[in-house]
Amino acid sequence: MTELKHYFAPTSLDQAVECLKDGDVTILAGGTDLTPQSQAGRVKIKHTLMNIRHIPQLTGITLEGREIHIGALATITEIMEHPLVRQHLPVLVEACDHFASDQIRNAGTIGGNICNASPAGDTLIPLLVLDASVELASMPEAKLYRHTMPLSTFFVGPGKTRKSLCELVTGVRIPLPEQGHVARFFKLGTRPALDISTISIGVAGTLRDGVLSNARVAFGAVAPTPTRAAQTEQALEGQRLDAATIEKVAAIARDEVKPIDDVRATAWYRKEMIHNITKRILSHVAQA
Amino acid sequence: MSLKHDIEFTLNGVKRRVSVDVTMNALAMLREVIGLTGTKYGCGEGECGACTIQVDGVSLNSCLMFAVDCDGRNVTTIEGLANDSKADALRESFVEHGAVQCGFCTPGMIMQADHMLHKHAHPDEACVKRGLEGNLCRCTGYKKIVDAVVACGAAEVTP
Amino acid sequence: MNVAEKKARVIEPDSLIGKRIPKMDAPEKASGRTRYIHDINLSGQLYGKILRSARIHALIKSIDVSAARALPGVHVVITAADIPDQRPIGVAKDHFPLKVGRVRSQRDEIAAVAAESEEIAEAALKLIKVEYEDLPVISNPEDAIKPGAALIHPEPHGADGSHLHLKQGMSIAHKGKPDNIAMRFDYVHGDVVQGEAESDVVVEDTFKLHYVTHCCMGVSGMIAEFDASGNVLMYSNTQVPFLHKREFAEYLNIDPARIRIIQPPIGGGFGSKLDIYPFEVICLYLARAAKRPVKMLFTREEEFLASPTRQPVLLTLRSGCKKDGTLTFRQVHTLHDNGAYTSWGATTPFVMMQTFSSLYRVPHCDYHTAAVYTNNPYAGSFRGYGNLQATFAIEQHMDMLAEKIGMDPLEFRLKNAQDAGEVTGQGMSFKSCGFKDCITTAAKRSDYARKARENAANRDKPGNIKRGIGMASMLHVGGGAKIYPSDGCGTILKMDDFANVTLITGASEIGQGSETVLSQLVCEELGLPISAVTVVNNDTAITPWDVGVHASRTTFIAGNSAIGAAKKAKSKILAVAAKKYGTAEDELDLRGGFVIQAASGEVVVELSKLLRNLHFQDKAELVMTTFYYEPPSVHQDKGFKGDVSAAYAWGSQVVEVEVDTDTGIVRMTKVTGAHDVGRVLNRLGIEGQIEGGVVMGQGYALTEDLLIQNGVMKNPNFRDYKLVTAPEIPEMDIAFIESMDGEGPQGAKGVGEAPSICIAAATANAIANATGVRMFELPFTPEKVYRALHGQTPKLYWKPWKAE
Repeated sequence: MTELKHYFAPTSLDQAVECLKDGDVTILAGGTDLTPQSQAGRVKIKHTLMNIRHIPQLTGITLEGREIHIGALATITEIMEHPLVRQHLPVLVEACDHFASDQIRNAGTIGGNICNASPAGDTLIPLLVLDASVELASMPEAKLYRHTMPLSTFFVGPGKTRKSLCELVTGVRIPLPEQGHVARFFKLGTRPALDISTISIGVAGTLRDGVLSNARVAFGAVAPTPTRAAQTEQALEGQRLDAATIEKVAAIARDEVKPIDDVRATAWYRKEMIHNITKRILSHVAQA
Repeated sequence: MSLKHDIEFTLNGVKRRVSVDVTMNALAMLREVIGLTGTKYGCGEGECGACTIQVDGVSLNSCLMFAVDCDGRNVTTIEGLANDSKADALRESFVEHGAVQCGFCTPGMIMQADHMLHKHAHPDEACVKRGLEGNLCRCTGYKKIVDAVVACGAAEVTP
Repeated sequence: MNVAEKKARVIEPDSLIGKRIPKMDAPEKASGRTRYIHDINLSGQLYGKILRSARIHALIKSIDVSAARALPGVHVVITAADIPDQRPIGVAKDHFPLKVGRVRSQRDEIAAVAAESEEIAEAALKLIKVEYEDLPVISNPEDAIKPGAALIHPEPHGADGSHLHLKQGMSIAHKGKPDNIAMRFDYVHGDVVQGEAESDVVVEDTFKLHYVTHCCMGVSGMIAEFDASGNVLMYSNTQVPFLHKREFAEYLNIDPARIRIIQPPIGGGFGSKLDIYPFEVICLYLARAAKRPVKMLFTREEEFLASPTRQPVLLTLRSGCKKDGTLTFRQVHTLHDNGAYTSWGATTPFVMMQTFSSLYRVPHCDYHTAAVYTNNPYAGSFRGYGNLQATFAIEQHMDMLAEKIGMDPLEFRLKNAQDAGEVTGQGMSFKSCGFKDCITTAAKRSDYARKARENAANRDKPGNIKRGIGMASMLHVGGGAKIYPSDGCGTILKMDDFANVTLITGASEIGQGSETVLSQLVCEELGLPISAVTVVNNDTAITPWDVGVHASRTTFIAGNSAIGAAKKAKSKILAVAAKKYGTAEDELDLRGGFVIQAASGEVVVELSKLLRNLHFQDKAELVMTTFYYEPPSVHQDKGFKGDVSAAYAWGSQVVEVEVDTDTGIVRMTKVTGAHDVGRVLNRLGIEGQIEGGVVMGQGYALTEDLLIQNGVMKNPNFRDYKLVTAPEIPEMDIAFIESMDGEGPQGAKGVGEAPSICIAAATANAIANATGVRMFELPFTPEKVYRALHGQTPKLYWKPWKAE
């Protein structure tokens, strides 16, 4: 009934990427998505099921120069409780706090959330506005090859990324925010967490004397992928956040997104919420 | 035939070696292979918390975990908690506060509440509600469950 | 119980009534030891699975099960063709467990497999090939009722196209139906034309109520086994074992005596287990064919797809009053989406009618309804049984009428609320009635009047959060409901040599705490601690008859039955003691495990000793009693008039909300309830019932919405079917009005359904108070509220349909 022929739990990164070489591998990390999807038959497990839990190189949250490195296996709970993240990346803590439930936060990993590439993925919006990069490993020849890719270019569709079948996500790198950095995240829903976003919004930038620069805006659940909003960012860049600007930017945001109707909301409502919440967040940022 | 794999782990304080289907989830292993039925199937998708267990000291949905991923780990189920004298107070608090009606969600609630009380020894109402948001109950309206957990935490304050 | 050490000469009076008594089975449940149906496995057991329709409405052209039968590990594969003796099931006998020739909804059962494992059974289902010929889907009841609409249950025609004139008396499953009307009710008291003529103000609105479902945490399941003589043993989650015993026998064409039903502890009921569903009969067919026990469990998705729902209703209400605030009339038309088949949902107008005719004094009332067949999921019974839908409309109109005549809504309600001793136009006689107390208590405790005034005044102030407060009241049966020939319950009570009691009751325990309340009532009579009681309540071979757990009846009916048996035991014990100690029976009493002097409390003899003396003597005897309680209610007449319940429960609930006008999100911040429960028996248990009901009502009002599009369920999972979670619950302040019902056990009335009923109506009134916008369609999800606030919701109007 299944083509699954092999279970493999490597203990080093080299073993893992070596195993990935033939591409016919399903990767298991936290399992919060793969388990139910495969049980329900929505995802077919390939020739090899590779459990990456025992690879030490994929764990840990560390400060490396001017970057915070979060290992792919870091769970949502580990991230939201880690002192480095709490100190430097409160917007990521905020998003983690709205992620599913305690049980799922305890199991789900940042690597898994990135590779799932859900348009509504809760950690992805803050990672996008924090200019995060994805770190990938593979073994094209006999040697471990590692490279990074901006997260903003990583997603190509629902559940689809630019990661090749032979690559493993080993972590994310997030530049340390500079002085004056502000960031906000908002997930629209009726519950604190156990909820798929109707929409989510992340805004970040550097606020100096009431003027926002390096503006980053990302929206969740309004497109096939979590997405940066170029027009909205452009409209914000270098602007003083007064009421008129905020209204103008919110209107641009509403026009920029192209959401769909689904069981959670209509496109019309999503656009309205992008407008209203963008306005609300920018007002908060203005007061920061 | 489905692919089998041998794993060894600690279950409720006792070392176990079992052979499991690689595609099987931990919930099915506990209920069908090992025969511990206190952990409940409610949805199979991590949305209801009825199957909550503790692995290496944190609470997880056993329906969202591959059985093979238990290998080498320390697993506690409601049956294991039932042998834990520290958990007696929590269980008694559920009984005394009327937190149990049909009881189907109760093992998962207690496993999650126990985990929460290890992280926050004296949680307030808001903290308990957030901590239990992944556990659905259709009978009680949650109030008595929250009361039971808050009371259990508060009781520990006064020796 | 060991009371041998007790030497006290005087036993002080004590009572368990009104105390907080922990549920007797809670310790087992809290330690994970309780074995639900999911946890029971019999040796030799096979696993059953059902193939459901891949189409919404279609003819079945062919079914090929050969590959499934050939799969190793498969024991039995059945389709309708394999069961020539299938009998139609359901309230209207309008479908077969395995569908014959046609599927009419997404959940329809086509074939079933019994195999060595669930995995093999599932694999076998995938090998079954079915050819369909699609038919037009009717998913809207307004379309279904139009003249000339395609029929869901057409009358059969012969091969030559000629109409087959089948015998009168045959079921709908055989002979079809010339229209899509599954059930109709027409009720009248007074004259609404006169009522309208007397009115100074008349309002008319259409209300739309949605699909929701029970979401029992334990999914449906059963185990069936035939013994060597063909007797049937079923492990079933039914709420009505004795009615079902008879019905299953009919479906299997055997004597009911050969069916035994054991009810393991159940993971939630709420009305969902009141009807027999196809899977149960199919499981029996599989076990009969396999000659092995067969266990069938739903997945959660299947639980959504193939469980009953609350019935969606389109409701147009016209009501009026005089300037002085006197209600004059109500005219109601409802259209119910019956779904493809008829279950108890179709009969909810019985209960809705009581609210239309009798919630407040209504001089003239006229109610017409039809439940119509569609290709949607079919609706069953669900806690509140139509009353949530009816109250949603009635209590919004109470606010709207009050506003029209410029009267305070509280005063308007109190002016029309009934007192004890009144008989309504429908013939309901209110012997105890705490209605006005409920209204005033809920209003006072919530500070309703002040908050309502202030919220309305603050409506146009800046800020996106608007606060609102709203009230609604309800009337529901609280002393059983005489629907069946008997509304009774039997009790067998036996005492052992140590003064322990075994209480054998017909009443099923579904998590509501009946076993604890019944034990309390017995202990109260026999002067024993709760630990002295063992309850047996789950085996039709042992327990006496009971009509079932429904209509909030168990505490009232089974309670009176248990008291009856306990009183008989007490009277026997006192007679023995009086004779032995040379005193009069009425000078003795039972208290604390002793026979005592009633006046002084002085110990006469330890009860266990007396019982042993009785047992181990020449004329040896045991104390064993039986009692059958039948409430003094009456059946309704053909015009639906009559005092159908021995008591009526009342309740008023005040809901407070915060509406975020930026998002449409409504947060329920507080619920204040006042419930006329007759008398509180177990405070812990009744609080739990009320709180659970309030939150179920909250889900109905705000979050739960089973989305059906063209007959397809779009959200059969907890991700998108949103039950209320712990952080969302409101603060709850619950008060009990003790009206001490004369017929109730220790004065109590039933309350199981009451707490869910008002919440949606009160929430609608609260949103109107907060925003000035009135909402007529449930649920109040963010988008729906946001649209209403922005004038994006066209006014609903359903023109009442009238048949000839």
